[in-house]
Amino acid sequence: MPELNFLPTLPPALTPPILFGLLLLVGLLGGEVARLFALPRITGYVLVGVLFGPGGLGVLTTQLIKESRVFVDISLGLILFELGRRLDYQWLRRNRWLFATAIAESAFAFCAVYFGLRYFDYPPLHAALAAAIGIATSPAVVLLVAHELRSEGQLTERMLLLTAVNSVFAFLSVTMLLPFLHLEQQAGWAETLPQPLYVMLGSLLTGLVSSFFVLRFAAWLGKHEDRQFIMLVGMIVFTAGLARSLNLSVLVTLLSVGILARNLDFRHKLMAVQFGHGGQLFFVILFVMAGAGLRFDALPQVAFIAGMYIVLRFLGKALAILVFGRFSGLRPGAAGLLSIALLPMSGLAIVMVQDASSLYPEFGTQLSAVVLSAVAILELIGPLATQFALKQAGEAGERR
Amino acid sequence: MTLEFSQSPAFTMGVELELQLLKSHDCNLARDAADLLARLGKVKHPGQVKPEITESMIELNSSIHQRYTTLADELRTVRSVVARQAELLNLRIAGGGSHPFHQWSERRIYPTERFKHLLNLYGYLAKQFTVFGQHIHIGCPNGDDAVYLIHMLSRHIPHFIALSASSPFYQGEDTSFASSRLNAISAFPLSGTMPLVESWDEFNAYFEKMHRYKIVESMKDFYWDIRPKPEYGTVEIRVCDTPLTVDKAALLAAFAQALAHYYLIERPLEATPDLYLVYNYNRFQACRFGFAANFINPYDQQHANLGDDLIATLKKLAPHAVALESSAALNQLLDETATRRNDSSWLREQLKKSGSLNDVARLQSNLWMGKPDRA
Repeated sequence: MPELNFLPTLPPALTPPILFGLLLLVGLLGGEVARLFALPRITGYVLVGVLFGPGGLGVLTTQLIKESRVFVDISLGLILFELGRRLDYQWLRRNRWLFATAIAESAFAFCAVYFGLRYFDYPPLHAALAAAIGIATSPAVVLLVAHELRSEGQLTERMLLLTAVNSVFAFLSVTMLLPFLHLEQQAGWAETLPQPLYVMLGSLLTGLVSSFFVLRFAAWLGKHEDRQFIMLVGMIVFTAGLARSLNLSVLVTLLSVGILARNLDFRHKLMAVQFGHGGQLFFVILFVMAGAGLRFDALPQVAFIAGMYIVLRFLGKALAILVFGRFSGLRPGAAGLLSIALLPMSGLAIVMVQDASSLYPEFGTQLSAVVLSAVAILELIGPLATQFALKQAGEAGERR
Repeated sequence: MTLEFSQSPAFTMGVELELQLLKSHDCNLARDAADLLARLGKVKHPGQVKPEITESMIELNSSIHQRYTTLADELRTVRSVVARQAELLNLRIAGGGSHPFHQWSERRIYPTERFKHLLNLYGYLAKQFTVFGQHIHIGCPNGDDAVYLIHMLSRHIPHFIALSASSPFYQGEDTSFASSRLNAISAFPLSGTMPLVESWDEFNAYFEKMHRYKIVESMKDFYWDIRPKPEYGTVEIRVCDTPLTVDKAALLAAFAQALAHYYLIERPLEATPDLYLVYNYNRFQACRFGFAANFINPYDQQHANLGDDLIATLKKLAPHAVALESSAALNQLLDETATRRNDSSWLREQLKKSGSLNDVARLQSNLWMGKPDRA
């Protein structure tokens, strides 16, 4: 019998291209099925992830999730950059009440969750860390739901701006809290300070340098949307990869590229490029993987606390917007909807929990289950909440 | 149904300006008219601000003025108030007859009964009507004078078009027109000109007939270039693109006022059918070529350069401008006509310099809002 060793072993190995293609196809399918039930497509992607993830059919193993990290980083990079561009410093400067709203929205959400958890006797530092993570709204969800609905108007603009601001605050607070966790473990300042300082300053500096190159590149290319698009994707993917290699925060780095590229572009060289269909590809992957990463196993034990976490976080945000929103020019009735729109939490929070747990395992055992369960719930109902708010506000585009 | 022509003091004037609402981040049209109007409802300002057919527009109305200077001052005041409130919502306001690159299909009708009715009736034309014009009202003592004045002003429609032209770009393309906006108006079945009636009674007979046919409900249904507005007691000139600045809007009103003064006081000519034989030719030439247009004078059948004819007209109006205290305004228009540059020329220059229509929209809104800008 001749040797047939040119034949492959079956089934074929799940290489990255096969994985990427498959995720896209099943994600797409999930999205369209979700549409049939008037759910946001994002919810469909997430459910596909949950179904195929380690907690479901187990097709997407933890190993595969790790290997797909590159796709996730690229998607997050694109989203964070886009969101950063919506943080218009000029608007905050001109509208002081809006500035106050943005600060209060983050601060009240933190306080509400912090005092709530303290009431349930969680140690101060743990409660603070969980509360800090809760400040952030999911950039990916709000941006993509707004895109999907072609939503435009005051509520949409403010939702994106507040999300950009609260993402920054969440990261800053978590990073500032980490040294205190170290200290609690009787480590000295000398061991505890350098790491968060490195991450914070390193990410900002990388963002600054990258945005400088983005603007120089754009000036050199001129006003050609197609070429600026390629340049932007190139710079964003490169920067996201670099941040990862340098052990920096992809979040802060890309968010600051977006913010700086917008606010330092005094000569208006960078065009308002839409990521369009190309970007959509990565976003499908992002949410399928986010779904695969969700943990529902601890949910039954911590359901009550996780529920309280979600409610308190919402009340904190809502209070700030109800109090300050009106003065900032938000129309009556929109404040409640805006608070609902800001409900989503997602992958970003998971990353922050993982960072905290890896540095400080005790947090992992105590509160991470609560935060992760809250994320799991909000990953499913968050897109729905945002969609509801934008439609109710009359800002969704007409159906095509 | 007979229309009463209300009396209004002769040669008073007022303007309506349709303005563009832009998003700050890409300078495309925004949809925030309702929010902006709600804010403007709470702050004190002269004149009125109203919704227009799509959510991307607002209309600014001045009060009634005898003199050019008070009109210009008021418009500048309202401009500042509107610009300030828009900035609080992160919006920009721009003049100009068309938005350079918006897509009409993305527009949404402002939700009032009348606008919904217009969408039902006119379909896509209603959304394509997202173009921006200036209307000038001139007070007339009676309906007969108004009818006469409308005929006389029809000879000057090309002047108004060339002076105000600011819509060279439409849907992301250079149209090669100085004013492309008027093409959007011509699509409507009731656009055009008032028929050649000779008195207010004759006009009323015409209107009653059209009303009986149920072609029109009210004067609002006529989209004429110049129409009588009996409830205000005015003649309304509707061919101007909204200029890039409020100052220019006041200058155009001063020109209309001086023309009215000239015709109603001197009565130099009689209306003839020839006015309307050359009308569409002259109008098209002005839209397409601006000051460089060819102009046929219906009273002597001579061809002339439109810019030259306008300069001759402005010079003839000088004594009337003195009486109306608007000499400075007319001289400014003379100077501008001499350079043969209008707002459309400015917009095309901005595209050449900046390379993108987003920048053009941004620069035109900076100009309207009175903001200095780097590069």
